[in-house]
Amino acid sequence: MVTEQTMVGMADIQVIDSKGQLVCLGLGSCIGVCIVDPQANVAGMAHIMLPATFPNSVNDKPGKFADSALPTLISLLEKKGAQKSRMKVAYAGGAQVFKFGENSSKLDVGLRNSQAVAEWLQSSGLKVISSDVGGTVGRTVTYSMDSGDFKVRTVQKGESTLCNLKGS
Amino acid sequence: MAMTIEDILQKTTDLPTIPAAALRVIQEADLSSCTASTVASTISTDQSLTAKVLRLSNSAYYGLSREIVDLQEAVVVLGMRCVRNLAMVAATYPWMSKALTGYSLEPRAMWTHSFGTAVGAQLIAQRARIKNDDTAFTAGLLHDLGKVALSVWLEKRFNVIVSVAERESLPFNLAEKRVLGFDHTEVGYHLAKSWNIPDTLALAIRYHHAPSESPVKNTFVDCVHVGDYLTMTMGFGLGGDGLHYEFDEDSLDRLGLSFTDLDAIMDAFVHSYHAYDSLFQELSVA
Repeated sequence: MVTEQTMVGMADIQVIDSKGQLVCLGLGSCIGVCIVDPQANVAGMAHIMLPATFPNSVNDKPGKFADSALPTLISLLEKKGAQKSRMKVAYAGGAQVFKFGENSSKLDVGLRNSQAVAEWLQSSGLKVISSDVGGTVGRTVTYSMDSGDFKVRTVQKGESTLCNLKGS
Repeated sequence: MAMTIEDILQKTTDLPTIPAAALRVIQEADLSSCTASTVASTISTDQSLTAKVLRLSNSAYYGLSREIVDLQEAVVVLGMRCVRNLAMVAATYPWMSKALTGYSLEPRAMWTHSFGTAVGAQLIAQRARIKNDDTAFTAGLLHDLGKVALSVWLEKRFNVIVSVAERESLPFNLAEKRVLGFDHTEVGYHLAKSWNIPDTLALAIRYHHAPSESPVKNTFVDCVHVGDYLTMTMGFGLGGDGLHYEFDEDSLDRLGLSFTDLDAIMDAFVHSYHAYDSLFQELSVA
Protein backbone atom coordinates (compact mmCIF):
# COMPACT_ATOMS: atom_id res chain seq x y z
CA MET A 1 0.00 0.00 0.00
CA VAL A 2 1.35 3.42 -0.92
CA THR A 3 1.28 5.89 1.95
CA GLU A 4 0.30 9.38 0.93
CA GLN A 5 3.06 11.85 1.78
CA THR A 6 2.56 15.57 2.25
CA MET A 7 5.85 17.34 1.65
CA VAL A 8 6.52 20.36 3.84
CA GLY A 9 8.81 22.58 1.77
CA MET A 10 11.08 25.29 3.07
CA ALA A 11 9.10 28.02 4.90
CA ASP A 12 5.96 25.94 4.44
CA ILE A 13 3.25 24.80 6.90
CA GLN A 14 1.05 21.79 6.25
CA VAL A 15 -1.80 20.28 8.25
CA ILE A 16 -3.41 16.87 7.66
CA ASP A 17 -6.43 15.34 9.32
CA SER A 18 -6.64 11.87 7.87
CA LYS A 19 -4.17 9.13 7.03
CA GLY A 20 -0.76 9.76 5.56
CA GLN A 21 2.56 11.28 6.44
CA LEU A 22 4.10 14.71 6.84
CA VAL A 23 7.69 14.99 5.59
CA CYS A 24 10.36 17.70 5.90
CA LEU A 25 13.21 16.81 3.52
CA GLY A 26 16.82 17.91 3.85
CA LEU A 27 16.88 19.98 7.01
CA GLY A 28 20.18 21.73 7.60
CA SER A 29 19.91 24.62 10.03
CA CYS A 30 16.12 24.66 9.49
CA ILE A 31 13.80 23.04 12.03
CA GLY A 32 10.94 20.68 11.27
CA VAL A 33 8.33 21.14 14.04
CA CYS A 34 5.46 18.66 14.29
CA ILE A 35 2.41 19.35 16.45
CA VAL A 36 -0.28 16.71 16.92
CA ASP A 37 -3.64 16.48 18.69
CA PRO A 38 -4.15 12.69 18.82
CA GLN A 39 -7.74 12.98 20.03
CA ALA A 40 -8.81 15.25 17.16
CA ASN A 41 -6.64 13.17 14.81
CA VAL A 42 -4.97 16.21 13.24
CA ALA A 43 -1.28 16.89 12.76
CA GLY A 44 0.73 19.72 11.33
CA MET A 45 4.32 20.45 10.46
CA ALA A 46 6.28 23.65 9.86
CA HIS A 47 9.66 23.92 8.08
CA ILE A 48 11.21 26.91 9.87
CA MET A 49 14.16 28.72 8.26
CA LEU A 50 14.99 31.60 10.58
CA PRO A 51 14.39 32.51 14.23
CA ALA A 52 12.52 35.80 14.01
CA THR A 53 10.58 37.98 11.58
CA PHE A 54 12.71 40.79 10.14
CA PRO A 55 11.87 44.11 11.81
CA ASN A 56 10.03 46.65 9.62
CA SER A 57 9.31 44.21 6.82
CA VAL A 58 6.25 42.40 5.53
CA ASN A 59 6.20 38.72 6.46
CA ASP A 60 4.83 37.16 3.29
CA LYS A 61 5.39 33.61 4.44
CA PRO A 62 4.68 32.93 8.14
CA GLY A 63 6.20 29.46 7.95
CA LYS A 64 9.62 31.00 7.43
CA PHE A 65 10.20 32.34 10.94
CA ALA A 66 9.86 30.57 14.30
CA ASP A 67 7.95 33.46 15.86
CA SER A 68 5.30 33.43 13.13
CA ALA A 69 5.30 29.75 12.06
CA LEU A 70 4.41 28.30 15.46
CA PRO A 71 1.34 30.48 16.23
CA THR A 72 0.15 30.03 12.62
CA LEU A 73 0.53 26.25 12.83
CA ILE A 74 -1.39 26.14 16.11
CA SER A 75 -4.15 28.30 14.67
CA LEU A 76 -4.47 26.03 11.61
CA LEU A 77 -4.68 22.96 13.87
CA GLU A 78 -7.34 24.61 16.03
CA LYS A 79 -9.42 25.28 12.92
CA LYS A 80 -9.38 21.52 12.35
CA GLY A 81 -10.68 20.83 15.85
CA ALA A 82 -7.43 20.54 17.80
CA GLN A 83 -7.13 21.91 21.32
CA LYS A 84 -3.95 23.38 22.72
CA SER A 85 -4.23 21.45 25.97
CA ARG A 86 -4.03 18.15 24.05
CA MET A 87 -1.26 19.09 21.62
CA LYS A 88 2.03 17.22 21.60
CA VAL A 89 5.20 18.47 19.94
CA ALA A 90 8.40 17.00 18.49
CA TYR A 91 11.02 18.80 16.46
CA ALA A 92 14.37 18.20 14.78
CA GLY A 93 17.02 20.03 12.74
CA GLY A 94 19.08 23.08 13.67
CA ALA A 95 22.40 21.70 12.40
CA GLN A 96 25.41 24.00 12.29
CA VAL A 97 28.66 24.18 10.39
CA PHE A 98 31.62 22.64 12.19
CA LYS A 99 33.68 24.81 14.48
CA PHE A 100 36.62 24.37 16.76
CA GLY A 101 35.99 24.87 20.46
CA GLU A 102 32.75 25.83 22.05
CA ASN A 103 32.58 29.47 21.05
CA SER A 104 29.15 30.17 19.69
CA SER A 105 28.73 32.62 16.88
CA LYS A 106 25.91 34.87 15.82
CA LEU A 107 26.33 33.14 12.47
CA ASP A 108 25.03 29.91 13.97
CA VAL A 109 21.59 30.09 12.47
CA GLY A 110 20.95 26.45 13.42
CA LEU A 111 21.58 27.20 17.09
CA ARG A 112 19.52 30.39 16.95
CA ASN A 113 16.66 28.50 15.29
CA SER A 114 16.61 25.76 17.92
CA GLN A 115 16.78 28.29 20.74
CA ALA A 116 13.95 30.33 19.23
CA VAL A 117 11.74 27.25 18.80
CA ALA A 118 12.49 25.95 22.31
CA GLU A 119 11.81 29.33 23.92
CA TRP A 120 8.56 29.88 22.04
CA LEU A 121 7.28 26.40 22.86
CA GLN A 122 8.19 26.79 26.51
CA SER A 123 6.34 30.08 26.79
CA SER A 124 3.31 28.58 24.99
CA GLY A 125 3.02 25.80 27.55
CA LEU A 126 2.73 23.09 24.88
CA LYS A 127 3.91 19.61 25.77
CA VAL A 128 7.22 18.89 24.03
CA ILE A 129 7.72 15.13 23.82
CA SER A 130 11.15 15.06 22.20
CA SER A 131 13.66 16.97 20.09
CA ASP A 132 16.81 16.20 18.10
CA VAL A 133 18.78 19.33 17.27
CA GLY A 134 22.33 20.51 16.56
CA GLY A 135 25.28 18.56 15.20
CA THR A 136 26.64 18.82 11.67
CA VAL A 137 24.31 16.38 9.95
CA GLY A 138 21.41 16.95 7.59
CA ARG A 139 18.09 15.40 8.65
CA THR A 140 14.81 14.34 7.10
CA VAL A 141 11.85 14.11 9.48
CA THR A 142 8.62 12.18 8.98
CA TYR A 143 5.42 12.00 11.00
CA SER A 144 3.02 9.14 10.37
CA MET A 145 -0.66 9.71 11.19
CA ASP A 146 -1.23 5.97 11.34
CA SER A 147 1.44 5.03 13.85
CA GLY A 148 2.04 8.38 15.53
CA ASP A 149 5.78 7.89 15.05
CA PHE A 150 8.00 10.92 14.57
CA LYS A 151 11.08 9.66 12.73
CA VAL A 152 14.43 11.25 11.98
CA ARG A 153 16.67 10.06 9.13
CA THR A 154 20.33 11.02 8.66
CA VAL A 155 22.72 9.83 5.96
CA GLN A 156 25.10 8.26 8.44
CA LYS A 157 22.69 6.70 10.93
CA GLY A 158 19.67 5.93 8.79
CA GLU A 159 16.13 6.29 10.13
CA SER A 160 15.10 5.97 13.75
CA THR A 161 11.96 6.74 15.71
CA LEU A 162 12.55 9.73 17.95
CA CYS A 163 9.20 9.45 19.74
CA ASN A 164 5.53 8.64 19.39
CA LEU A 165 3.05 11.50 19.46
CA LYS A 166 -0.12 9.44 19.62
CA GLY A 167 0.26 7.63 22.91
CA SER A 168 -1.12 8.97 26.16
CA MET B 1 51.16 2.32 -2.10
CA ALA B 2 49.55 5.67 -1.38
CA MET B 3 47.32 7.11 -4.05
CA THR B 4 48.24 10.45 -5.59
CA ILE B 5 46.06 13.09 -7.21
CA GLU B 6 47.65 12.16 -10.54
CA ASP B 7 46.56 8.54 -9.96
CA ILE B 8 43.03 9.71 -9.28
CA LEU B 9 42.91 11.77 -12.46
CA GLN B 10 44.47 9.00 -14.57
CA LYS B 11 42.56 6.03 -13.22
CA THR B 12 39.06 7.43 -12.77
CA THR B 13 37.12 6.15 -15.74
CA ASP B 14 34.23 8.60 -15.63
CA LEU B 15 35.89 11.92 -14.84
CA PRO B 16 33.63 14.89 -15.42
CA THR B 17 34.06 16.57 -18.77
CA ILE B 18 32.86 19.84 -20.19
CA PRO B 19 32.09 20.35 -23.88
CA ALA B 20 34.91 22.20 -25.63
CA ALA B 21 32.59 25.05 -26.54
CA ALA B 22 31.58 25.58 -22.89
CA LEU B 23 35.24 25.51 -21.85
CA ARG B 24 36.05 28.19 -24.41
CA VAL B 25 33.18 30.29 -23.01
CA ILE B 26 34.81 30.09 -19.56
CA GLN B 27 38.32 30.69 -20.89
CA GLU B 28 37.25 33.75 -22.87
CA ALA B 29 35.05 35.25 -20.16
CA ASP B 30 37.66 37.69 -18.88
CA LEU B 31 39.04 38.72 -22.28
CA SER B 32 38.36 42.25 -23.44
CA SER B 33 37.48 40.80 -26.84
CA CYS B 34 34.60 38.84 -25.28
CA THR B 35 31.25 40.20 -26.47
CA ALA B 36 27.69 38.95 -26.67
CA SER B 37 28.34 38.04 -30.26
CA THR B 38 31.51 36.01 -29.54
CA VAL B 39 29.77 34.15 -26.69
CA ALA B 40 26.90 33.24 -29.01
CA SER B 41 29.19 32.13 -31.82
CA THR B 42 31.35 30.05 -29.44
CA ILE B 43 28.34 28.20 -28.04
CA SER B 44 26.94 27.79 -31.56
CA THR B 45 29.87 25.57 -32.51
CA ASP B 46 28.28 22.83 -30.37
CA GLN B 47 24.83 21.84 -31.62
CA SER B 48 23.85 19.85 -28.54
CA LEU B 49 24.90 22.64 -26.16
CA THR B 50 23.12 25.21 -28.32
CA ALA B 51 19.89 23.21 -28.22
CA LYS B 52 20.08 22.93 -24.42
CA VAL B 53 20.80 26.64 -23.94
CA LEU B 54 17.84 27.53 -26.16
CA ARG B 55 15.58 25.17 -24.26
CA LEU B 56 16.63 26.76 -20.96
CA SER B 57 16.21 30.26 -22.42
CA ASN B 58 12.62 29.41 -23.30
CA SER B 59 11.77 27.98 -19.88
CA ALA B 60 8.91 29.49 -17.91
CA TYR B 61 11.50 30.97 -15.54
CA TYR B 62 12.24 33.79 -17.97
CA GLY B 63 8.56 34.23 -18.87
CA LEU B 64 9.23 35.47 -22.39
CA SER B 65 6.26 36.26 -24.57
CA ARG B 66 7.80 34.74 -27.68
CA GLU B 67 10.11 31.84 -28.40
CA ILE B 68 13.84 32.45 -28.72
CA VAL B 69 15.06 30.55 -31.76
CA ASP B 70 18.77 31.32 -31.96
CA LEU B 71 21.64 32.23 -29.66
CA GLN B 72 22.17 35.71 -31.05
CA GLU B 73 18.60 36.48 -30.06
CA ALA B 74 19.12 34.85 -26.65
CA VAL B 75 22.07 37.11 -25.82
CA VAL B 76 20.09 40.16 -26.93
CA VAL B 77 17.01 39.26 -24.88
CA LEU B 78 18.61 37.66 -21.79
CA GLY B 79 22.05 39.22 -21.84
CA MET B 80 25.50 37.78 -22.39
CA ARG B 81 26.17 36.91 -18.75
CA CYS B 82 22.88 35.07 -18.40
CA VAL B 83 23.47 33.02 -21.56
CA ARG B 84 26.98 32.22 -20.37
CA ASN B 85 25.56 30.92 -17.08
CA LEU B 86 22.98 28.85 -18.95
CA ALA B 87 25.74 27.30 -21.06
CA MET B 88 27.60 26.33 -17.87
CA VAL B 89 24.44 24.86 -16.36
CA ALA B 90 23.72 22.84 -19.53
CA ALA B 91 27.34 21.66 -19.71
CA THR B 92 27.64 20.46 -16.12
CA TYR B 93 24.17 19.07 -15.38
CA PRO B 94 24.72 15.64 -17.00
CA TRP B 95 27.49 14.59 -14.59
CA MET B 96 26.45 16.69 -11.61
CA SER B 97 23.01 15.12 -11.50
CA LYS B 98 24.40 11.62 -10.96
CA ALA B 99 24.56 10.01 -7.53
CA LEU B 100 27.96 10.23 -5.80
CA THR B 101 27.88 7.16 -3.60
CA GLY B 102 31.33 7.85 -2.12
CA TYR B 103 29.91 10.96 -0.47
CA SER B 104 26.45 9.43 0.13
CA LEU B 105 24.95 11.95 -2.28
CA GLU B 106 21.71 10.78 -3.87
CA PRO B 107 20.95 11.49 -7.55
CA ARG B 108 20.65 15.26 -8.12
CA ALA B 109 21.99 16.09 -4.63
CA MET B 110 25.39 17.16 -6.00
CA TRP B 111 23.57 19.25 -8.58
CA THR B 112 21.30 20.81 -5.95
CA HIS B 113 24.29 21.74 -3.81
CA SER B 114 26.42 23.04 -6.70
CA PHE B 115 23.65 25.05 -8.29
CA GLY B 116 22.68 26.40 -4.87
CA THR B 117 26.26 27.50 -4.26
CA ALA B 118 26.34 29.14 -7.70
CA VAL B 119 23.16 31.11 -6.94
CA GLY B 120 24.41 31.96 -3.45
CA ALA B 121 27.87 33.07 -4.63
CA GLN B 122 26.30 35.29 -7.29
CA LEU B 123 23.92 36.88 -4.76
CA ILE B 124 26.81 37.54 -2.41
CA ALA B 125 28.87 39.09 -5.21
CA GLN B 126 25.93 41.35 -6.06
CA ARG B 127 25.44 42.32 -2.42
CA ALA B 128 29.16 43.09 -2.09
CA ARG B 129 28.99 45.10 -5.36
CA ILE B 130 31.55 42.93 -7.12
CA LYS B 131 31.72 43.19 -10.89
CA ASN B 132 31.42 40.02 -12.96
CA ASP B 133 29.02 38.34 -10.59
CA ASP B 134 28.55 35.63 -13.23
CA THR B 135 32.13 34.54 -12.53
CA ALA B 136 31.00 33.94 -8.94
CA PHE B 137 28.14 31.84 -10.37
CA THR B 138 30.51 29.68 -12.45
CA ALA B 139 32.97 29.32 -9.57
CA GLY B 140 30.11 28.23 -7.30
CA LEU B 141 28.85 25.75 -9.86
CA LEU B 142 32.27 24.09 -10.19
CA HIS B 143 33.50 24.35 -6.58
CA ASP B 144 33.01 20.67 -5.66
CA LEU B 145 34.31 19.32 -8.97
CA GLY B 146 36.86 17.25 -7.04
CA LYS B 147 34.10 15.28 -5.29
CA VAL B 148 32.90 13.95 -8.64
CA ALA B 149 36.38 12.59 -9.38
CA LEU B 150 37.02 11.34 -5.84
CA SER B 151 33.67 9.74 -5.11
CA VAL B 152 34.44 6.29 -6.47
CA TRP B 153 37.69 6.15 -4.46
CA LEU B 154 35.88 7.13 -1.28
CA GLU B 155 33.34 4.36 -1.30
CA LYS B 156 35.48 2.16 0.98
CA ARG B 157 37.19 4.98 2.84
CA PHE B 158 34.32 7.28 3.70
CA ASN B 159 33.64 5.76 7.13
CA VAL B 160 37.33 5.97 8.01
CA ILE B 161 37.35 9.68 7.11
CA VAL B 162 34.23 10.30 9.20
CA SER B 163 35.82 8.45 12.15
CA VAL B 164 38.99 10.54 11.86
CA ALA B 165 36.94 13.74 11.66
CA GLU B 166 35.03 12.81 14.81
CA ARG B 167 37.97 11.39 16.77
CA GLU B 168 40.36 14.23 16.02
CA SER B 169 37.71 16.95 15.85
CA LEU B 170 38.61 17.95 12.31
CA PRO B 171 36.46 19.43 9.58
CA PHE B 172 35.73 16.91 6.84
CA ASN B 173 38.20 18.29 4.27
CA LEU B 174 41.10 18.07 6.76
CA ALA B 175 40.09 14.52 7.69
CA GLU B 176 40.03 13.71 3.97
CA LYS B 177 43.57 15.04 3.68
CA ARG B 178 44.67 13.10 6.75
CA VAL B 179 43.40 9.80 5.32
CA LEU B 180 44.07 10.26 1.58
CA GLY B 181 46.96 12.75 1.60
CA PHE B 182 44.81 15.33 -0.26
CA ASP B 183 41.25 16.59 -0.20
CA HIS B 184 38.50 17.15 -2.78
CA THR B 185 39.50 20.81 -3.25
CA GLU B 186 42.99 19.79 -4.42
CA VAL B 187 41.63 17.15 -6.78
CA GLY B 188 39.17 19.68 -8.17
CA TYR B 189 41.94 22.24 -8.63
CA HIS B 190 44.09 19.79 -10.59
CA LEU B 191 41.17 18.78 -12.77
CA ALA B 192 40.29 22.43 -13.40
CA LYS B 193 43.91 23.22 -14.32
CA SER B 194 43.90 20.31 -16.76
CA TRP B 195 40.95 22.01 -18.46
CA ASN B 196 42.93 25.26 -18.69
CA ILE B 197 40.25 27.27 -16.97
CA PRO B 198 41.29 30.69 -15.60
CA ASP B 199 43.14 30.81 -12.26
CA THR B 200 40.35 32.92 -10.77
CA LEU B 201 38.04 29.90 -10.98
CA ALA B 202 40.68 27.27 -10.20
CA LEU B 203 41.63 29.10 -6.98
CA ALA B 204 37.99 29.37 -5.94
CA ILE B 205 37.75 25.57 -6.29
CA ARG B 206 41.02 25.02 -4.41
CA TYR B 207 40.40 27.36 -1.46
CA HIS B 208 36.65 27.27 -1.00
CA HIS B 209 37.07 25.65 2.43
CA ALA B 210 40.10 27.76 3.41
CA PRO B 211 39.64 31.16 1.77
CA SER B 212 42.22 32.93 3.95
CA GLU B 213 44.90 30.55 2.65
CA SER B 214 44.53 31.61 -0.97
CA PRO B 215 48.00 32.76 -2.10
CA VAL B 216 46.53 35.62 -4.10
CA LYS B 217 43.66 37.91 -3.22
CA ASN B 218 40.62 36.56 -5.02
CA THR B 219 37.22 37.83 -4.07
CA PHE B 220 35.49 34.91 -5.81
CA VAL B 221 37.09 32.51 -3.30
CA ASP B 222 35.21 34.38 -0.58
CA CYS B 223 31.96 34.49 -2.58
CA VAL B 224 32.08 30.71 -3.03
CA HIS B 225 33.04 30.09 0.60
CA VAL B 226 30.05 32.06 1.86
CA GLY B 227 27.78 30.65 -0.88
CA ASP B 228 28.81 27.12 0.10
CA TYR B 229 28.10 27.96 3.76
CA LEU B 230 24.62 29.25 2.88
CA THR B 231 23.82 26.20 0.79
CA MET B 232 24.98 23.75 3.44
CA THR B 233 23.17 25.66 6.14
CA MET B 234 19.91 25.59 4.19
CA GLY B 235 20.35 21.83 3.75
CA PHE B 236 20.64 21.90 -0.05
CA GLY B 237 22.15 18.64 -1.32
CA LEU B 238 23.75 17.45 1.90
CA GLY B 239 25.68 14.18 1.79
CA GLY B 240 27.42 12.13 4.46
CA ASP B 241 29.85 14.98 5.12
CA GLY B 242 26.86 17.15 6.04
CA LEU B 243 27.81 20.55 7.41
CA HIS B 244 31.10 19.26 8.80
CA TYR B 245 33.14 22.16 7.42
CA GLU B 246 34.45 25.32 9.00
CA PHE B 247 33.21 28.81 8.26
CA ASP B 248 35.88 31.51 8.00
CA GLU B 249 34.33 34.76 9.19
CA ASP B 250 37.22 36.72 7.63
CA SER B 251 35.56 36.04 4.27
CA LEU B 252 32.66 38.24 5.32
CA ASP B 253 35.07 41.02 6.38
CA ARG B 254 36.86 40.90 3.03
CA LEU B 255 33.52 41.10 1.22
CA GLY B 256 32.49 44.07 3.35
CA LEU B 257 29.50 42.16 4.71
CA SER B 258 28.48 41.66 8.32
CA PHE B 259 26.75 38.71 9.91
CA THR B 260 23.57 40.77 10.07
CA ASP B 261 23.49 40.72 6.26
CA LEU B 262 23.45 36.95 6.21
CA ASP B 263 19.85 36.34 7.33
CA ALA B 264 18.63 38.66 4.58
CA ILE B 265 20.92 37.02 2.02
CA MET B 266 19.64 33.61 3.14
CA ASP B 267 16.06 34.77 2.62
CA ALA B 268 16.87 36.14 -0.84
CA PHE B 269 18.80 32.99 -1.65
CA VAL B 270 15.84 30.71 -0.99
CA HIS B 271 13.60 32.96 -3.08
CA SER B 272 16.10 32.91 -5.97
CA TYR B 273 16.70 29.20 -5.78
CA HIS B 274 13.03 28.25 -5.79
CA ALA B 275 12.37 30.60 -8.69
CA TYR B 276 14.54 28.28 -10.76
CA ASP B 277 12.09 25.38 -10.44
CA SER B 278 10.87 25.76 -14.02
CA LEU B 279 14.47 25.78 -15.21
CA PHE B 280 15.09 22.49 -13.41
CA GLN B 281 12.10 20.96 -15.17
CA GLU B 282 13.73 21.80 -18.51
CA LEU B 283 16.98 20.23 -17.30
CA SER B 284 15.30 16.99 -16.29
CA VAL B 285 13.87 16.49 -19.77
CA ALA B 286 16.97 17.77 -21.61
